[in-house]
Amino acid sequence: MVVILIVLLALVVLLLGWFFFAYNSLVRLKIRVDNAWSQIDVQLKRRHDLIPNLVESVKGYMAYEKDTLERVIKARTQAIDASGIKDKAQAENFLSQTLRSLFAVVERYPDLKANQNVLSLQEELTSTENKISFARQYYNDEVGRYNTLIEVVPTNIVAGAAGFAKRDFFEIEDKAQREAPKVQL
Amino acid sequence: MPFSFIDIEEKKTRLLGCLFFFVIFFYFLTAYLVLLILRNAFGPRDGFFWPSGMSVLAAFGIALFVALLHWATSTSHLIEKLSLSIGAMELDAKDFYHKGLQNIIDEVGVAVGGRRITGMVIPSVSLNAFALEDFQGRAVIGVTEGLLTRLNRSQLEAVVGHEAGHIVSGDCVTTTVTCALAELYDELFSRLKAGMQRSRGRGSVLILALFLIIFFMRFLSTLLRYFISRQKEYRADAVSVRLTRNPLSLAEALSLISTNWRGGGASGERLESIFIVNPNFSRLDEKQGVFSDVFSTHPPIAERIRILTDMAHVDTKTLEEHLKNDTWVSPVARAEFTQADGGPSAWRVFADQEWKGPFGLEELQASGLLTPETWVKPEGSEKVAHAYEDETLLSVLSPQAAEKKTKEEFACPHCRTALGELYYEGVPLQKCSHCEGVFAPSHKISRILIRRDKTFDPEIVRMAEATIRERDRRVDGFYKQKPVNAWVLDCPQCGRKMRRQFFVYSYPVEIDRCVYCEGIWFDRQELEILQYIYENKEHFFDDSSF
Repeated sequence: MVVILIVLLALVVLLLGWFFFAYNSLVRLKIRVDNAWSQIDVQLKRRHDLIPNLVESVKGYMAYEKDTLERVIKARTQAIDASGIKDKAQAENFLSQTLRSLFAVVERYPDLKANQNVLSLQEELTSTENKISFARQYYNDEVGRYNTLIEVVPTNIVAGAAGFAKRDFFEIEDKAQREAPKVQL
Repeated sequence: MPFSFIDIEEKKTRLLGCLFFFVIFFYFLTAYLVLLILRNAFGPRDGFFWPSGMSVLAAFGIALFVALLHWATSTSHLIEKLSLSIGAMELDAKDFYHKGLQNIIDEVGVAVGGRRITGMVIPSVSLNAFALEDFQGRAVIGVTEGLLTRLNRSQLEAVVGHEAGHIVSGDCVTTTVTCALAELYDELFSRLKAGMQRSRGRGSVLILALFLIIFFMRFLSTLLRYFISRQKEYRADAVSVRLTRNPLSLAEALSLISTNWRGGGASGERLESIFIVNPNFSRLDEKQGVFSDVFSTHPPIAERIRILTDMAHVDTKTLEEHLKNDTWVSPVARAEFTQADGGPSAWRVFADQEWKGPFGLEELQASGLLTPETWVKPEGSEKVAHAYEDETLLSVLSPQAAEKKTKEEFACPHCRTALGELYYEGVPLQKCSHCEGVFAPSHKISRILIRRDKTFDPEIVRMAEATIRERDRRVDGFYKQKPVNAWVLDCPQCGRKMRRQFFVYSYPVEIDRCVYCEGIWFDRQELEILQYIYENKEHFFDDSSF
């Protein structure tokens, strides 16, 4: 009788311990996901700040490319206004596209290509683009880990009971980026 | 989970603890050995004695004290000390390449989840990269100037990713501390050696004793290296691939580094384990097996490249072909010799009741129209102003005023006007807009010579060839001159006289070098001629030993 009681008690303690452990690891991952998201936000904001400078310094040279510039400015405003992960991802992808077409246009103007100011802005923007994609990569890794933990069998009970919700990935909707890179052989 | 920082922290502390106890143990063993020898040499002559319990305890106390002292001295200012001994310097915030490097490091910092890493650079032609980290979590990633020049952006990113891999997986601290522990003795050793040679005879017994002890301790630094596993390089390669998702670029970078000079002999003698590829060629490194697993610091490069190319589904031959055909030119090449700040370069002048021009700066001076009171407006703008209100024009108008203003800045030693900033192959230099002379502080010269963005005019090529052809005659003639004219110009940086001389005998370009601050003044085209000769040295000299 006593033995059974002790075994039961031990089981309860073990179960409780496991519950706390699972809950804590869920919380830890959730905080990391939030942190990763704020990383993306920082980089996105930085890009929004850099764009007006770039537009200002190329404007003088590009009299015939008004609509390219306007598209960049419009995309930037949209991206700033967007809220929610899905909308934001879409707006930012559109902004990336317009920026890419702007850089393609810059290539056609020898004066612009030799301008120190434009060059260093271009370097800054390229770097920020890279940072955004790295931050997104880190965020998606963390979200993947978090979502897995919510869905796998024992922890999903804890997640369901404590109300942990799955997160969205920061996805790329851009076709060109989705295509597999060509391997040169 | 590779990124569980708690695991890594635990592992880190455990390894460092091991290291610390190893150091104590080593000192204890040494003290015990010395005790044993002393007791049997000076004690009673009959038979062999083991030291008593008390003396063993004393030996342990001494060992503990020395170990603590050693630990404390080598781990304070870890990063400063080690970067000094490999000759690494802080990044030049204005330099185009350096800015790019810091950007890449920041990008990788974001990729590992937001971490600040400082960039550094070794002013050397060799190709290599290193990482350092101290107990406070300050991290440094450094590359050589040669690497910065030769690698393209994605290759550089892969290398930085590898170094960041060392930092996030926690082996960087252990390596850094181990190197610092070993470094202390190497430094003492070399200093004593120099001291011995200087003061021959005097106090030589004492020095000899010290010398012996330190020689013994140097053995410790050799032992310490076996704490560093060669596996860490594979792990860091893996992290780099996981961050950049680009195994091919890392393979390319490794292949480039391994087939060029990696800086052997130039950097700190025993610090090879902080580098991505061992600076000294080591036969042991290139071998597989238990023996080399224990005793070498780096895995075989061929093996590393093979793993990476397998990941990218490319074979090693195609990689080599690809590298051969890859002539990558950085975007900086386009920006050469452009004025850094966007000041006006042409003006319209109001004279004889009408606006004339636009004139360039030189034209304006020659025209005789320019006085301080002249009305001018910069080309492309409607802002009318007196000439003295325009900064560029003021420097032409009154050299004295300009000289006063630029006392701490820079003034041209010929024309006495303020020097403007200029980017030459991404390096910020001072250039005179009149005589087109260029001033370069000494530490920037190596950077310029290494970088290869610039394409040369036929005129420069002709002049460089003429320079080399007449070398012997000129060397003779130059040194037969009285040294009266040898000190002509004032150094723009410190104001002292500069000595006119050849850059070096093998590159007989006449330059003015300040003997105090070692800055160099190049007259018009001299820098380009020097660089042309340097970059085509194989063409000019039979053996490339220069």
